[in-house]
Amino acid sequence: MIGKLAVFVNNIAARTSEQTHKVTEHASDTVHVITEHAADTLHVVAGHAADAAHGGEHAPELPNWLEFAELLFPGPVTKFLWDWHVVIFSVLVWVLLSVFCMIAYRKRALVPGKLQNLIEFVVESLSNMVVGIIGEGGRRYVPFLGTLFVYIFVMNIFGLIPGMFSSTSKLNTTLALAICVFLFVQFEGIRVQGLLGYIYHFAGSPKSVVEWCLVPLNFPLHIIGELTKPLSLSLRLFGNISGEDMLLAIFVGLGISIMAILHPPAWLPGIPLHVPFIFLALLTSFVQALVFTLLSTIYFSLMTHHEEEEHH
Amino acid sequence: MDAETARGFLLPLTVAIAAIGSALGLGKAVGSAMDAMGRQPEAAGKIQTGMIIGAAFIEALTIYALVAVILLK
Repeated sequence: MIGKLAVFVNNIAARTSEQTHKVTEHASDTVHVITEHAADTLHVVAGHAADAAHGGEHAPELPNWLEFAELLFPGPVTKFLWDWHVVIFSVLVWVLLSVFCMIAYRKRALVPGKLQNLIEFVVESLSNMVVGIIGEGGRRYVPFLGTLFVYIFVMNIFGLIPGMFSSTSKLNTTLALAICVFLFVQFEGIRVQGLLGYIYHFAGSPKSVVEWCLVPLNFPLHIIGELTKPLSLSLRLFGNISGEDMLLAIFVGLGISIMAILHPPAWLPGIPLHVPFIFLALLTSFVQALVFTLLSTIYFSLMTHHEEEEHH
Repeated sequence: MDAETARGFLLPLTVAIAAIGSALGLGKAVGSAMDAMGRQPEAAGKIQTGMIIGAAFIEALTIYALVAVILLK
């Protein structure tokens, strides 16, 4: 199973090198699109900036290909694609990851080549991190938590490609991920400790008379504590990624509006003021994916560590 | 002062106050991390990792305030 995860993550490295090619490709494509549809593009971005200025219906965001498709070729198909763009981009990310996984799975050797070495490094660090926090029993959670990290990281980064969109910048996706983690943690709690042990854990694990008397206080506290965990997980990821997207959109708008004063030529619609923030966005994407995974790991360890206590 | 004026005035103030709190917290956290790194340079890697993760948690609280303001606007 770790082999499969290794190969799966193998693709990520393969894909990141392909993505740098894609970025330069898309950059030149975008310039062509802009020169051809200069008025349209400026309209769209200026429209977003104007929306932001008037405190419009939604927060400022850079447009993506599906939005362009709906604006340039209005019709029922593109409207459907635009309505569901959050889900479509998240599906696109996992389809790409799976496709690269399957492609890289064909060439694997006992003595690893460069890409396989990188992937094994990634898988080993994830595995060490999870097992370091949960203990040896954590091996069964490594695929779930490792996939969580890779999927969230790639989804966060995906929005930085011109014309693409990070699904994690919407509460829908992050809440779905947090609910998955929450349900899995509760299920594992019941599976490892048994139903009675699970309820015992929620009552605060009373061992003395004083603790038994405090059970009616502990019970609601623990329940509220468990319910806030998915809330905080989802809000943290959503806030960070949507915040970075908004930052980028506002700075792009600023760059364009600065150039608009100077009556720019068609090939230079604006100054790229947002470039330093792309580096900040890279850091934030990585850190937020790591924090989500780490917190999920800690929730697993909290739910299942009683079993190990009894065995010692 | 009606509700609209109060809103327009208090919503940005909310984010500003949250930012002050998180700046103080982050300053303390990063400062302690720097002290620890100075005392034991070999552990610098681990301390740095822990600092980044701690900073993400502290930052999250400011993000909650930002999300609340965006939802209310």
